[in-house]
Amino acid sequence: MSSTKDFIVEQLKAQIADFKAGVKQETVGRVIEIGDGIARVEGISQVMMSEMLEFKTASGLIYGLALNLEEDRVGAIILGDYFGIKQGDEVRCLNKILEVPVGDGVIGRVVNPLGAAIDGKGEIQADKFYPVEKIAPGVISRESVRQPVQTGIKAIDAIIPIGRGQRELIIGDRQIGKSAIAIDAIINQKGQNMKCIYVAIGQKASKVAGLVAKLEESGALDYTTVVLAGASDPASLLYVAPYAGTAMAEYFLDKGQDVLIVYDDLSKHAVAYREISLLLRRPPGREAYPGDVFYLHSRLLERACKLNQKYGGGSITALPIIETQAGDMSAYIPTNVISITDGQIYLMPELFYQGNRPAVDAGLSVSRVGSSAQIKAMKKVAGKMKLEAAQFRELAAFAQFGSELDKDTKAKLERGKRLMEIFKQDQYSPVPVANQILIFFALVNGLVDDVPVERMSDFELGLYKYAAASGAKILKEIEEKKDLSEKLEAKIKELIRDFKNNLEYLIK
Amino acid sequence: MKNTTKQYALALYETLDGKPSGQVKTAIKKFVGILAGKNMLIKADEIVAEFVKVWHEKNGIIEAEAVSASGLDKANVKLLKKYIISLAGAKEILLNEKIDKNILGGVVIRYSDKVVDGSLRNSLEELRDKLIK
Repeated sequence: MSSTKDFIVEQLKAQIADFKAGVKQETVGRVIEIGDGIARVEGISQVMMSEMLEFKTASGLIYGLALNLEEDRVGAIILGDYFGIKQGDEVRCLNKILEVPVGDGVIGRVVNPLGAAIDGKGEIQADKFYPVEKIAPGVISRESVRQPVQTGIKAIDAIIPIGRGQRELIIGDRQIGKSAIAIDAIINQKGQNMKCIYVAIGQKASKVAGLVAKLEESGALDYTTVVLAGASDPASLLYVAPYAGTAMAEYFLDKGQDVLIVYDDLSKHAVAYREISLLLRRPPGREAYPGDVFYLHSRLLERACKLNQKYGGGSITALPIIETQAGDMSAYIPTNVISITDGQIYLMPELFYQGNRPAVDAGLSVSRVGSSAQIKAMKKVAGKMKLEAAQFRELAAFAQFGSELDKDTKAKLERGKRLMEIFKQDQYSPVPVANQILIFFALVNGLVDDVPVERMSDFELGLYKYAAASGAKILKEIEEKKDLSEKLEAKIKELIRDFKNNLEYLIK
Repeated sequence: MKNTTKQYALALYETLDGKPSGQVKTAIKKFVGILAGKNMLIKADEIVAEFVKVWHEKNGIIEAEAVSASGLDKANVKLLKKYIISLAGAKEILLNEKIDKNILGGVVIRYSDKVVDGSLRNSLEELRDKLIK
């Protein structure tokens, strides 16, 4: 016992003997003004742009970020509670850019934009840190989008397909299911070899709590990280949040994995940045946003990418969300983000209130690169469906005027009504791609023309059940071959016919 | 556009630099006249403070602060001044001495935005951090 004690004492002695008090010159500054989450600092002449600062206060260290380098002062945002900082407090430069913990340790967790756990499950176990700001991968390391992201939402997977590495904007008014689409997409990534990151910017804590519970319940939290900058957090954290989320995604990208990241939502992010900019006295521009608000989002969304095999072959798919005011798509932030992204999913209030949920407007929504990522089987059926949907929209407007319609038009209208029924889908119930192909196949081949419109949803659910029970082989073949051969098509037709023979409302 | 206090101080320095003392008096009188004409006399104190800064900067003078636990003797002050001159590359040092028992021992030097912390307290803290690791 005493020998171990001696040993420890000896070791301590050796350590103390080794110790040399280093005297080094440091650059420090002093706070000359503090308020509204913004500090103005004098001194620190060597400070660099977006360098981390350390405020030494009576109640401990508080971190900040240098954003404005002026002639004789520095404007900094405070990351966290700024009430502890007083005029005259010492400020030090940390010679590094803001970093967040990354790695497998953050999966399944709820963290704040600085990477600290806020879900009460203990500290984040991470040995690696990534800077929040990083230059996006260049042209040499990229390749075009070619693998699909299966969102599990029929209207999207068919008409506005999303590829891995794509940036697809979800845009619409408040309360019409923007977040719901993103959450469904996350839930459907189970078993798709995809990591998910959900960045909540300025969201109500109650909404996020409900969302985390839902993700946990559906098993989606096993591959998902939630980065939360709530409505009550200071604007500085809201500003950092999407970059922090992307840094966490980049860790998996560097390992050659695929990541889906949702920014919910970027309009609040722009508002937070506007607040910071105005407080830093940067000149306001249109809608009082600062001049670099385009760069704010373009540098973020450029980090979404598909890398080629030489660089690991990973991808980051971004689903930014933008909230419009009364459907005004031509406001400043919506037009900016529309022009940055590779397409948008536009949600229409009219459709939503008519009961077409998800309220995806097939006419205004586009996907500029995703169709090359669709699997062949889906391409075959969806190509015809796009045409059907477009024709239906045109005819539906036209048919309101008169009742005298020829047989051909009537048939098209009838089929369009069934298409609209198929596109209706409940929340939290993503449909696997094989099932989607099955129902779309039935529609484009006229196999559902004799099903009454109001029974379509019953028919659809019944078909899925029937296929799972007696057509599992066919579903598997679709999933594996990803193409429809003539033989397979015949088999599917037979399966659907068999199913229809069992339905009493179809037997005359 | 209004001129800043710094611009006034700089202008004053440039007019006075290298002039014999007789002309300095008239120059200052004229300068005050200009300030009165521009309604800037309220800012006179700030301009004087800026002028001191400009004067120090142009002549390589640095104001430094040395904090010690129990005061410094003359030999040490001389050594310190030499040390600061070598650190900052200045010609002359105006040293303010301060006494702070909290630093326990050694000396803390501050000049412009630099700090050289050679206090016993800091060394002890570093030792503690090292031992915790």
